[in-house]
Amino acid sequence: MKVNFAKLSPFQVDPEKIEALNLTAADFEAATNEEKESVVYRHKSVSYWRDAARRFRSNTVSMVALFVFILCLLFAFLGPKLIPYNYSDQYRSSQKLSSMQYSEDEQKVVALSGHCDAFFATVLQPGSLTAIKKGDYFIDYGGKTYAFTLKKAIEKAVLALDADAEAPLFVVKMSDINEDGSFDKSTPVELSEAPAEGASPIRLSTGVFPHVFGTDSSGRDLMARTMFGAQVSIIIGIVAAIIVLIIGSIYGAISGLAGGAVDFVMMRVVELIYSIPEVLIVLLLQVVLTDPLRTWFDAHKSGIGAILGDLGPGIVSIFITFALLYWVTMARIVRGQVLQLKKQEFVTAAVALGASGTRIIRRHLLPNAVGALVITTCLQIPSAIFLESFLSFLGLGVSAPMASLGSLCSDALATIELFPDRLIYPAVILTIIVLSLNLIGDGLRDALDPRLKK
Amino acid sequence: MVSYILKRILAAVATLLVIMAVTFFLMNAIPGNPFLSEKASAHAIELAFKKYGLDQPLIVQFKNYVFNYVRGDLGVSLKMQEGTSVADIIFNQGKFARSIKLGLAALALAVVIGIPLGCIAAYRRGSWLDGFLRVMTTVGVAVPTFVLATLLLAFLAVKLSWLPVKSGELTDFKCYIMPVISLSFYYTCYLAKLTRTSMLDAINQDYIRTARAKGVKTGVLVLKHALRNSLIPVITYLGPVIAGIITGSFVVESTFQIPGLGKYFVQSVMNRDYPIIMATTVILSALVIIMNLVVDIAYKLVDPRISLTAKEG
Repeated sequence: MKVNFAKLSPFQVDPEKIEALNLTAADFEAATNEEKESVVYRHKSVSYWRDAARRFRSNTVSMVALFVFILCLLFAFLGPKLIPYNYSDQYRSSQKLSSMQYSEDEQKVVALSGHCDAFFATVLQPGSLTAIKKGDYFIDYGGKTYAFTLKKAIEKAVLALDADAEAPLFVVKMSDINEDGSFDKSTPVELSEAPAEGASPIRLSTGVFPHVFGTDSSGRDLMARTMFGAQVSIIIGIVAAIIVLIIGSIYGAISGLAGGAVDFVMMRVVELIYSIPEVLIVLLLQVVLTDPLRTWFDAHKSGIGAILGDLGPGIVSIFITFALLYWVTMARIVRGQVLQLKKQEFVTAAVALGASGTRIIRRHLLPNAVGALVITTCLQIPSAIFLESFLSFLGLGVSAPMASLGSLCSDALATIELFPDRLIYPAVILTIIVLSLNLIGDGLRDALDPRLKK
Repeated sequence: MVSYILKRILAAVATLLVIMAVTFFLMNAIPGNPFLSEKASAHAIELAFKKYGLDQPLIVQFKNYVFNYVRGDLGVSLKMQEGTSVADIIFNQGKFARSIKLGLAALALAVVIGIPLGCIAAYRRGSWLDGFLRVMTTVGVAVPTFVLATLLLAFLAVKLSWLPVKSGELTDFKCYIMPVISLSFYYTCYLAKLTRTSMLDAINQDYIRTARAKGVKTGVLVLKHALRNSLIPVITYLGPVIAGIITGSFVVESTFQIPGLGKYFVQSVMNRDYPIIMATTVILSALVIIMNLVVDIAYKLVDPRISLTAKEG
């Protein structure tokens, strides 16, 4: 918008020419808000958060770390949905494989897949029951439905489909498959017109998904386990950080606001907890809590008990540990912030104007302390992940078939001579997660701490 | 000064008492008891309980622990080395000495390498060396001790067989290398980072510029003027370092199979050998608390600006 400077600052005009200004009565009307804003040249005042976001975005290292952390999140939460394996399923024929290695059975099936359209291999199914029992089945494939009745269970064999062949559905025994995938004999399956009532579906696959990270000694796919473990570790980190945030900030705020004797007693408690070498107590707590928690989960199978029960006693006791011992740093920081802010003039002014306690906390203390809270919480996540992995490594955290990055490293230690990569994958992912969170935390500190403003 | 130290010692004793109480009630809350086994009959267990006074009310047992500890009696092992005095097990079988040697070596390494690295990085700010150190320290604080320990084990000991897989009783210099590196790496990196930051603060101060203008040599400038002032935050961090090194020793001792105090503590918890749990907890906690006390006093000595009587703010 063009600004009529003459109207705004008539004194800068040569007084000789004042006649030429052609002032009318309308020129002396009060300026509207729009007109006022147009004088503010440069840009609008920027809010704290927008300013912080801009500063964070201009920090290359933190942005890269954020990107890497998002990749880790995708790996942990989206990954398990993309691969056909599950963290707890045991594949009997694929035990102890290195990365990208196929077991003998898998090699045969891969070779066979070149000779048919799709297949169902009993040996590649999870669990100890690797046979298809007798009964009625149907297969939906390529827009057609194939219904059939098995009079005998199929064991150690492949149910193959070749849509163009005379007998499209046939069974090949594993022992009859040659190395190049050809087979000496096969038994055709008699097809019926329509699926019988209560027939169960069979899903065919067209290839064998490789075990990218290999498998462990029980035949569990390690990539699926690493993804799941990363998920568990990240969830533990975030939940523990939130627990610490809630307890620590409430405790710290009360202590800082109350002051006097209350503050003194509360801070002595903090000091006491602070000087306890927590790992000793944590180890004891883990052992103490695991059994009662398990009994409690067995008794409470609904509501919160079910949710916590899914996590398992190991993880829940880690949360309890954090709730008991790890909030002290947060409490100290919050108290420090509150004490510092309490003395500021704007708080005194608010008190003088008759603002209520809640209003002072909501309008003045919280917005000013929120930066410190965000930073501390963010940096708490990697430390929780560290603690969990440490406990799992000592055999006290999560237990099989559950997995966390720490327990995967610990499992890998037994076979380190033969399969060093089993250690390397979870260890590297753990390191990357912690590293990226640390760097994000550093970036947040630079972005949110106004004292570092350039 | 004296009253400050006295007050701190009193607080330390109180902390230790609380730790004893917490440990005592926690270890008694662990399901099972030290005498539980397939062979043991109910009667035999009852007898053993009577023999070691475990049939007494908990509060009496706790009182006995406290009085015995004051007299320096740590009790006898219930299971792991039944009947042997706990003091014997911990001090005369070399467990304590091994853990202490390992911890001190790691602490020394962290200080001797971390602080100079931080100084160099700060002094040569922006150089390739500073960049390299920054990357190394940033990554270093993100690697858990057990990952480093197992990786070292996998490559140096298993693959290349340069170093022994099992460090055992630390008889040889070679046995120290991997445990000490894995214990101290995190803290070396952290100390280097911390020193760099506080050194940079110090270097930008006016008195450094004045000293430089007066023609003070670089070495003297860094060591005498800048380092001394930048050491204060570093010293405050040494307390947590010591606690962390003791924590790390759990992992390192079990990875490298060193029969030290950390590993013994974990085993005693698994075996529910109450007197050993109590003794290891108290000794390790006392170590941490004493070192914290020493660090705090050193902190006040280094910086005369810090008032000894004022409460922390």
